[in-house]
Amino acid sequence: MKPLTKFVQDAAQTAQESETVSTAYDSLWTGGNVPTQAPSALEQIMLAQDKLYVVLAVVLIIWFGIIFLTMRTDRHISKLERSVEDHIPDHSDDL
Amino acid sequence: MMSHASVNLKNYHLIRNLVFGWVTIVLLAGFLLDIPKINILEHTARNLYFHVPMWFTMMAAAFVSGYHSFKVLQTGDPVRDIRALQAARIGTFFGILGLLTGIIWSKFTWYIGTDVWWNFDPRQIMVTFQLLIYGAYFVLRSTFDDPMKRARISAAYNLFAMSAIPFLLYVIPRQMESLHPGAEGNPAFSEITHPIMRMVFYPAIIGFIGLFWVLYTQRVRVALMKYRITQDSEL
Repeated sequence: MKPLTKFVQDAAQTAQESETVSTAYDSLWTGGNVPTQAPSALEQIMLAQDKLYVVLAVVLIIWFGIIFLTMRTDRHISKLERSVEDHIPDHSDDL
Repeated sequence: MMSHASVNLKNYHLIRNLVFGWVTIVLLAGFLLDIPKINILEHTARNLYFHVPMWFTMMAAAFVSGYHSFKVLQTGDPVRDIRALQAARIGTFFGILGLLTGIIWSKFTWYIGTDVWWNFDPRQIMVTFQLLIYGAYFVLRSTFDDPMKRARISAAYNLFAMSAIPFLLYVIPRQMESLHPGAEGNPAFSEITHPIMRMVFYPAIIGFIGLFWVLYTQRVRVALMKYRITQDSEL
């Protein structure tokens, strides 16, 4: 398990190395948001619109889950339908 | 002896339609209502309406499943066994959705600016254990040929699975250091949540538990039909 404080320490190091305008008294938090690394392509998408797309992704996961479950249940129903048809003879067989 | 060998369709249709309308309103309110802006969380605070109810729903499902398992031990009723299995299945389904939605949420808040998707947060580990405990329940069921034996032994195991939930989802994560709210050093939900968010959050819990009920009842209908045709209670 990578300790969570490690990320903060990394961030502090990055901030110190890239220090150009701040004084020696600046703490890690003066800038508010200390970027730990350049945002990836995925982050550029997901963090846009004040991170609204993260909520969209979460709702879509739930929606896809419901689709998956419905399709599985459908498969069971189809199997049952086939076995019912096997049990009930056709009218033509009665003759 | 068998009881309630079919579902009351009139009630089912009524509640199903109510639930679908209710969840639609929750979705609209979840996206359209203004919420206070919180640093780092920003709009992802809205996930409170979607991610958190997954866990409430899983717990409700586990309770329903445990109740029917208890009834199996009391009466040996195969219909109770079918209901216990289907409630556990849909409960696990919601648990997996809770875990996946949590991974997405944490990626863009806790782990922003890193390549980390999973950092063994205590709460995530514990819910993974809980889902594995339910996974073992489904595997355990498949090892029996005698339906009576299967119903009784898996019912006893299912009661254990249900009783693990308070410890794995509440007691232990609260004792450990975690980025998840409700852990040590993290504010609990009740102190920070704005009234407007509660107005959506509580109905969302009811809505998703309702959705569980619809999906569960649907599965029970199919499972009962299968049981009547093939005498097999698995689905």
